[in-house]
Amino acid sequence: MSGRNQADRLLHERGISEDFGAFVAAAAWTRNSRVCACALGDGTLALADAGGFRRVAAHDGAALALSPDCGPAGFLSGGDDGRFLCVSAAGEITEIGRFGRKWVEHVASHASGRRAAAVGKTLHLFDQTGRAQKQLDHPSAITGLAFDAKGKRVAAAHYNGVSLWFVASQSDNPRRLEWKGSHTALALSPDNDAVVTAMQENALHGWRLASGEHMRMSGYPAKTQSLCFSRGGKYLATSGAETVVLWPFTGGGPTDKPPIELAGGDGVLCTMVACHPEHDTVAAGFADGLVVLADIASERILPVAAPGRGAVSALAWSADGANLVFGTETGFAARIDFSKR
Amino acid sequence: MAETSQQVPVTVLTGYLGAGKTTLLNRILSENHGKRYAVVVNEFGELGVDNDLVVDTDEEVFEMNNGCICCTVRGDLIRILGGLMKRRDKFDGILIETTGLADPAPVAQTFFVDELVREKTRLDAIVTVVDAKNLTARLADSPEASEQIAFADVIILNKMDLVSDAEAAALEARIRQINRFARIHRATRAGVAIADLLDQGAFDLNRVLERQPDFLEDDSHSHNEDVASMSFEAERPIDPEKFNAWISALLAAQGQDILRTKGILHYAGEARRFAFQAVHMMADGDFIGPWPADAKRASKLVFIGRNLNRPQLRRGFLACQVEPAAA
Repeated sequence: MSGRNQADRLLHERGISEDFGAFVAAAAWTRNSRVCACALGDGTLALADAGGFRRVAAHDGAALALSPDCGPAGFLSGGDDGRFLCVSAAGEITEIGRFGRKWVEHVASHASGRRAAAVGKTLHLFDQTGRAQKQLDHPSAITGLAFDAKGKRVAAAHYNGVSLWFVASQSDNPRRLEWKGSHTALALSPDNDAVVTAMQENALHGWRLASGEHMRMSGYPAKTQSLCFSRGGKYLATSGAETVVLWPFTGGGPTDKPPIELAGGDGVLCTMVACHPEHDTVAAGFADGLVVLADIASERILPVAAPGRGAVSALAWSADGANLVFGTETGFAARIDFSKR
Repeated sequence: MAETSQQVPVTVLTGYLGAGKTTLLNRILSENHGKRYAVVVNEFGELGVDNDLVVDTDEEVFEMNNGCICCTVRGDLIRILGGLMKRRDKFDGILIETTGLADPAPVAQTFFVDELVREKTRLDAIVTVVDAKNLTARLADSPEASEQIAFADVIILNKMDLVSDAEAAALEARIRQINRFARIHRATRAGVAIADLLDQGAFDLNRVLERQPDFLEDDSHSHNEDVASMSFEAERPIDPEKFNAWISALLAAQGQDILRTKGILHYAGEARRFAFQAVHMMADGDFIGPWPADAKRASKLVFIGRNLNRPQLRRGFLACQVEPAAA
């Protein structure tokens, strides 16, 4: 048991945690880094400041999607009750949109005041006051959603590719990035040049926007559910293997370059990754519940939470990089403080 | 391998427009049968019952990029089943309604292709509702009608009040030509006991195969475009390597014509039964419980499809048996 205690040291000494008994579908932080939230399968959000967790009733059904709101102290959430909500750090709820029986499966915002919700094939854009701005239709259901770093474009993944829309454009003709097949998750590089999707066939596909070049990254034993670029865009961290797989996006990569693999050895699938906002460090969660930090350069691994609390299903860093939140399929959630003491 | 008991049973409901699917769904949602079902529908408007477990979806069929031309799956279902698993404590099972003209293969194949779907759910049965009055016309004018019957584990022969006894017997015989192995329930206004439809374990085929005492009697051939079904029995234990090599090659070559394959196999030296099933080219198998103490340990294999060559299939299957001396 000493190994487990050792692996749980950060959780015990620097964490607050609670078992909510409902699937943690997503986790996020407010932009001011003060409050984190977990979206739960019973429709509630579990909000935590440094003092502890509290529950807020949000959706009638399951909460499916969560992101920071465009403002400093709130969240956006989507549920299978068809509601798109703004939830303040204090837990006050404002309904932004209501879409009947359709699920709100993806939500995103940009600090410039943009809010987005993916409902079936339609991307709904709202401003910071909650006023509907646009409805952008796609050939099939949206499976991934992200604003670019400047908030000028929004990318939506769907079958056979990605649609890239200029948010302020009058014409609403997207740039279509095409690749046949089912794309199931999406990430944009910080320099706004690379768009990468996860695919049904246990592989990634990517496009360089400037050159139009395609990228193909494969070799995964399972589907990649989670992918994100490191702060400078040097690496793309991904789940879906029994290690954390990081593709180099410098020096001509990732095509024809082997990925870096970290935190392997246990034969357990990595299910979630979250890149640190300031350092080349990645947090990773595994199917057995293990959570680690991996330093990319030194390949050193720091355990955060031991296995045994359910497959990790949500993971997010605060924007200042001082705190991490994670949640599991069986409903365990924890907020861990990494700041200097 | 995931525990069967933890997997959520999924029932797929197919049938032509107007056959009575919506009537049946309304009954399942409104009757007091002690179970809760999440229902995935395509046109919610037709359903009169309001229920927070009804999910509205657009059928989104796509081809897998694996070089297999008949390997199509329902992407929307992968998403929706994943979403429903986030509140799996809220229901006992899942029902998926397909549109009237739908080919059942993509739905069934979804349960073979996606690892999360396979881990968390189990395809319990494909239930096909057919309209007794219009079945003959549908079989004549659309290939989907016979495919829906071919894929079925359970068939509801609905609107019996509109046909005579003689007509009903002829319809059952026609259905049996296509699929000898499905259970047929005669009904009026989809009035079938819910317990006969849901959580049947029909797709795992124990019941279907054990109900077939007349396994070898029918020796008809099917060298044409009509869908037919055939079954074979092997007395000696099966060599797993030989069987895998044979069935893989067979499905790769003829998987477009072979709609479904099901089998219970007695592997040499193995006390448990091996259940094999395939939809077109996608195959899957798993050990199920031990052979019952009093049961004959014979292997059975069923094909439902077009252009089935009985002598060839029989020779192929029987050649997978271990040599007599080794048995």
